[in-house]
Amino acid sequence: MSHTHSRRRVTALIGLSLIVVLAGCSQAIPVDPEGTLNSVRNGTLRIGLSPNDSLVEIKGSSYQGSEVELVKDFAQSLGAKPEFIVGGEESLVKKLEEDQVDLVVGGISSKTPWSKMVGMTRPYTQVIDEKGKKEKLVLLVPPGENAFLGELEYFLDQTQEMP
Amino acid sequence: MIPEAGTHLPEEQRQMMRRATKLEWISIGYAACTITAVALVVGNSQAMRTAWIDDMLSVLPQVAFLLSGVYVRRLRRPTHPYGYHRTMSAGHLVAGVALLSVGGVLVYEAVSALVKLEHPTIGTMNVFGHTIWQGWLMIAVMAFFAVPAVILGRLKIKAAKPLHNKLLYADASMAKADWQTNVASIVGVGGIGFGLWWLDSVAALVISAGIIQDGWKNTRSATVDLLDRRATSYDGKDPHPLIPRMEAQLKSFGWIEDCGIRARELGQVMHVEAFIVPISGDVIMTQIQEVKAALEDTDWKAYDVVVTPVLELPDFFSQPREVTN
Repeated sequence: MSHTHSRRRVTALIGLSLIVVLAGCSQAIPVDPEGTLNSVRNGTLRIGLSPNDSLVEIKGSSYQGSEVELVKDFAQSLGAKPEFIVGGEESLVKKLEEDQVDLVVGGISSKTPWSKMVGMTRPYTQVIDEKGKKEKLVLLVPPGENAFLGELEYFLDQTQEMP
Repeated sequence: MIPEAGTHLPEEQRQMMRRATKLEWISIGYAACTITAVALVVGNSQAMRTAWIDDMLSVLPQVAFLLSGVYVRRLRRPTHPYGYHRTMSAGHLVAGVALLSVGGVLVYEAVSALVKLEHPTIGTMNVFGHTIWQGWLMIAVMAFFAVPAVILGRLKIKAAKPLHNKLLYADASMAKADWQTNVASIVGVGGIGFGLWWLDSVAALVISAGIIQDGWKNTRSATVDLLDRRATSYDGKDPHPLIPRMEAQLKSFGWIEDCGIRARELGQVMHVEAFIVPISGDVIMTQIQEVKAALEDTDWKAYDVVVTPVLELPDFFSQPREVTN
């Protein structure tokens, strides 16, 4: 009886102290387990481009489209040099998992099945697809890199009109 | 007179039953609030998801109690000569098995997330124009809902003891321990915040282990009662203190040489068989009636009492009756 009591007390103590510590350093939280945000800031932002109509247009070696502009602006906000890697969605998602790109764009909808494997932002805009259905667009990020994701979503909140 | 099923509870217990019913309804309402609030922030944390499912499961024993509360009041009839008291035990068993199986699935999910080195992604929410990490909201919700569950649990334990209701007692002890689930999920989400992605799965594992433990306890206790084990008290004290009390009562009759009580649980009440060996080897009807009345007077739980005069006690009474734990 006294044993379980003391164990409960210890659990409660650990919980309470954790809350206090968490509250103390709320600015530095969340932390990236793999340190994506830190390595991107003032460094290089590796962006995966998946071609998609007007959002991501590939013309030879020049990249255009609203999402390309968006990620360029994001890179600038971090003082980072954008580096583009063109590929299909599947291969880019794999690169996200293997930490070979930091971000993937290309008209990805909020209902994408990739969200099981990697992280995605909140929808930042809404478009009408070919069938006339409304579709919310997101960007893909490496799984669990929550500081980087938070930074990106903050950027989207500041610059985009959320649907 | 033989008390009718449904009218067997004394006034105090009947009041307690109404109170317990009210508390269970409040618990369900409270659980609905928790489940909704957690749904808004649950996100990708395995610990949060496990705690969320735990909240949903916590409703099972409450529903079982309220449902069987309707049935136990039914009168006995030729096809159901023992009444409907055992619906409590049946409900108890169903709730226990459900906890056990869902707990197993959750342990599997937590372990597989650990093995696959899955890093849980938790983004931000836009709250009135502020970009706030969702983890903070999860922690806030979990901290907020931790306390009332404990209070409800304590109130329910107070009702369960005098009612001798094991289903209610189990439900109350689960509610009392519910804050540990909340603390564990806060630790898990906090871990994600610090970049310790594995802490989330570990916290989920702790929570699901707790669910399995609850499931095992409930399944075991309900099964044992359904197997007609000797009656025990709500907290597992064996034998139920009422049994030695009834035996002492029998011994106070001068004409009884030897005696034994066989009692099993019918939900909140007991089915009691008294075996008596008369000194002279002979009894008359009024003596049997006196014994029956005396036993029924000991406690309201001594509900269905049958007195059997025998020349010799059945075999199993010759073994030691007390259990030393």
